[in-house]
Amino acid sequence: MIALAAAGYRYPAGTAVGPVDLRVAPGELVLLTGPTGCGKSTVLRLAAGILQRHGHGVVTGAVTLGDRDPASLIAADRVRTLGFVGQDPDDAVVAATCAAEIAFGAESAGWAPDRIEARVTTLLHRLGLAARADRAPSALSGGQRQRLVIGAALVAGAGALLLDEPLSQLDPEGAHAVMALLRELADDGVAVLCVEHRLEIAMPYAHRTLLMDAGRIVADPVSDAGALRARGLAGPMVRELEERTGGTRWRVRADTVTHASVASDVSLRSASSRPISGVIHAANLSFAWPGEPRCVTDVSLDIQAGERVALVGANGAGKSTLLGLVAGRLRPARGAVRATGRVVEVPQNPDLALFCETVHAELAYGPVEARRSPADVAATVARAAAALSVADLLHRPPQALSRGQRLRTAVAAALACAPRLLVMDEPTSGQDRDQVDRMLAALPDALPGGAVLFASHDLDVVLRHATRVIVLDAGRIVADGPPLATLLAAETRGLPLPLPPLARVCAALGVPYAAPEQLAAWLEAE
Amino acid sequence: MTDPRARLGAIFGLGVLVLCLEGALPLALLAAGPTLAVLLHPRTAGWRLRFLGGVALLAWTTALSQGLFWADWPRTPLLVLSTDPNIVISREGVTHGLVQSLRFVALTAAGVWVALTTAPDRLVAALLAVRVPFGIALMGATALRFVPLVGAELWAVREARARRGRPAWARSPWAWLRLEVSLLRPVVARALRRARALAESLETRGFHPTAPRAVREPLRMNAGDIVGLGVVATIVTAAVFARGLYGLYGAELYYTPALRPLYAFVRAWM
Repeated sequence: MIALAAAGYRYPAGTAVGPVDLRVAPGELVLLTGPTGCGKSTVLRLAAGILQRHGHGVVTGAVTLGDRDPASLIAADRVRTLGFVGQDPDDAVVAATCAAEIAFGAESAGWAPDRIEARVTTLLHRLGLAARADRAPSALSGGQRQRLVIGAALVAGAGALLLDEPLSQLDPEGAHAVMALLRELADDGVAVLCVEHRLEIAMPYAHRTLLMDAGRIVADPVSDAGALRARGLAGPMVRELEERTGGTRWRVRADTVTHASVASDVSLRSASSRPISGVIHAANLSFAWPGEPRCVTDVSLDIQAGERVALVGANGAGKSTLLGLVAGRLRPARGAVRATGRVVEVPQNPDLALFCETVHAELAYGPVEARRSPADVAATVARAAAALSVADLLHRPPQALSRGQRLRTAVAAALACAPRLLVMDEPTSGQDRDQVDRMLAALPDALPGGAVLFASHDLDVVLRHATRVIVLDAGRIVADGPPLATLLAAETRGLPLPLPPLARVCAALGVPYAAPEQLAAWLEAE
Repeated sequence: MTDPRARLGAIFGLGVLVLCLEGALPLALLAAGPTLAVLLHPRTAGWRLRFLGGVALLAWTTALSQGLFWADWPRTPLLVLSTDPNIVISREGVTHGLVQSLRFVALTAAGVWVALTTAPDRLVAALLAVRVPFGIALMGATALRFVPLVGAELWAVREARARRGRPAWARSPWAWLRLEVSLLRPVVARALRRARALAESLETRGFHPTAPRAVREPLRMNAGDIVGLGVVATIVTAAVFARGLYGLYGAELYYTPALRPLYAFVRAWM
């Protein structure tokens, strides 16, 4: 049992979270969601006893795991009582092999070597990682790595599991696998509390979803999708459509959709037949990382001005490598990239693009280095700051901002360089829907005559914001065309890209992908 | 040698051995072993080139600085840079610098080889076996694991900056230096965030720097490790004795004609 009774935390800077009342029973999988910065991670760290032991703020209320206070547990008891999984599995890994990673907690608990070995073997089988026991965690896919750290957290038989956005970096298939594992653990009696934004995938697996806003729980459980949407979050959209239309008459048609009929007009090809014009032309690109099989193979693509091209594919499909090749960060082993203007890339971790003292200096860096006049620099900075909603942060150090603000600053700094092509790797990771929508919606106006190429696992974002989708599988382009039809075609071909259920409804109704409220209005009119 | 304790023992032996040797040639031969082992480890050609460049730079700068600032006698000029004031690079200084740098290269290369070929958790187990507290052992192994990551991030920051416009070389050296140093900012911030995440992970997985721990795979030395360690121990013991006896002879404290071949060997090869 995870129980918080009027629990709260006041940071030294004055920001307060709580009071929060929350109970997760053994065998229950509970999602905790809310807008970025509302205090979800703080609640999770209170539940783990981390803030009580190491925070510099003031803790109020009571937290118990089972019948014990997590703050007073000795080290060996902590691993037997709770499992905690942070946002980035890479940062949580301490060992060189998967087996050693899982064993770490059992070693802390002081188990005998034979017992540790038996437990590690059992867990590796359960996580589907038995064949990778002696491989480095870095060699696993994102989903496998997330499953590994979950297994490592539970090795000593903890009855409570706390997770901070475990799906944020996973492809849809990996995300479903992780949620299925969490549900399985809950069914085995573990109390699971999971902070998550990707509700479309996560909610069907959960017993309950709690909604937080401004440091407090405002809905327990969330009963209607409208409450989520009001806070810039996206719940299961088909359910929202049902709520809005007051029924499911349209579902008959949605269930009978055949992918092949919708996707028949999508060319499944390598894109070399396109005319050589536009923003960028890449021909026959191939690339392999040292000691690994070929990562990108014979990829050709053209991007035209005004296009917003989404690159999708499973973890390890070669998306980041292809972005690096197009951006000029990586040199192709074969083939060439020709750009008609500047290409600026926002890296997967936007923090690595923020090196100036203030947000203003960050935005001014590109124009200043391009030797533009001070007036021009000032105008460019103001435009980029307004477009990405960072105008009120200009005098703050970028590294001190929240994750969403840092990403918007990195994108604004890239836009200030007036690129012809803006390249972004996973710009949706860890952001709530509202933040992502505002950022991506601002790009067409902020980039006149330019184009955007971005990689994303979030197919809902892709369907709403891309004008074209390129599907990558094992380093090759396997589909390229209009978003909905292309993703349907990819799903038909058995690629691991499960479509959002609403996409299937839109396809069945023969309408472009739209938000539930727009679709409801259309159905009403029909 | 496969057991990390044997490898740590070999490094310790190497440390003693380089102190026993004072000749540039034997030290160069000794340093060549681990350097070659590092170069043979499967890495990219660029990485090997950078490693070799680093070794050469270290040897060259140490030899040159010692050659310039050598204050003892004799002082045989190798190269006269100026007669007034008298600035020369002396042979004895260069030799001394070379000896120091070769000692450093031998130990560094051996350390790099152990780091490249030993899994961090095995290294932790080995350090625990030689009574290093768990907190320090884990900290050392973790730091070792993150070194290449920090290097890659520094590279990524440089790349991200280059995408937004390369700094103009015409600016003042001070401004250029400030810009270069600013590249460290995101790497340090990222390292701090990573450290926090790692600390949370360790904390909730029962880590305590001084608490007793079980080990999943207890370390076991095989015959090769034992023989290897025996060879290292024999060579190091012999070198210490030889150097000791030669020292006693040099200080006119102990001399016996029976040891003349040994004195000759030490003078020529050590």
